[in-house]
Amino acid sequence: MTTTITNDGNAYSAILKGRIDTTTADQFQKDVAPLLAAKGAQVEIDCSGLEYTSSQGLRIFLMLQKTISAGGGSLVLKGMRSAVREVFDITGFSSIIKII
Amino acid sequence: MDLRFDPIHGKTAEIIDAMMASPDMPEDDSLRFKLNLCIEEAVGNVVNYAYEGGMGYIDVHTDLEDGVLTIRLTDSGKPFNPLEKDDPDITLSAEDREIGGLGIFLCKQMMDSLDYRYEQGRNIFTMKLKVN
Repeated sequence: MTTTITNDGNAYSAILKGRIDTTTADQFQKDVAPLLAAKGAQVEIDCSGLEYTSSQGLRIFLMLQKTISAGGGSLVLKGMRSAVREVFDITGFSSIIKII
Repeated sequence: MDLRFDPIHGKTAEIIDAMMASPDMPEDDSLRFKLNLCIEEAVGNVVNYAYEGGMGYIDVHTDLEDGVLTIRLTDSGKPFNPLEKDDPDITLSAEDREIGGLGIFLCKQMMDSLDYRYEQGRNIFTMKLKVN
């Protein structure tokens, strides 16, 4: 699982590649730390390379949404694959996280 | 397919991989995704919570009959019913959503049936899914 983060001022862009599961979730949580630390960040995460997420991954996405919006920023997930999107739909996450 | 892992400490990924490689598993990607997610949840619970230090066994069983895949996990650890947790309230806002409880909720939505029983000192967790 790789997470590549770039930013232009407060505009953050992250690209995910691989799977978030038992073996990679801890590392993913560490890798997104810059997105949690930046106040008022406008964050866009490209999920087109995200092949799979377990419930651990969902927890991290929820934490991203809570922290980024509490800091006055915004989060958008884009390019999600349909199997991953279904998991966000079933858990109601599609209603609380912006997905395009 | 029937396999036993003993002890189970640190073996969550290995157990999941072995189950996903079972000849009973479907080839359809969407079904495999759902199964992977539920197996990961169920196996993770046993590896993390059933035994002190993960020192105990898990038996995993898969079979395919009349288009229905059955997966059964058995362990002799602490009695633990993953189904008795309340479902998360999925209508809450992001600020109010609880971080936990999602895994088993997903299994309930994605599998056709889930069954838990505690018999003769064993936790027995069974999932069924129509695969064709």
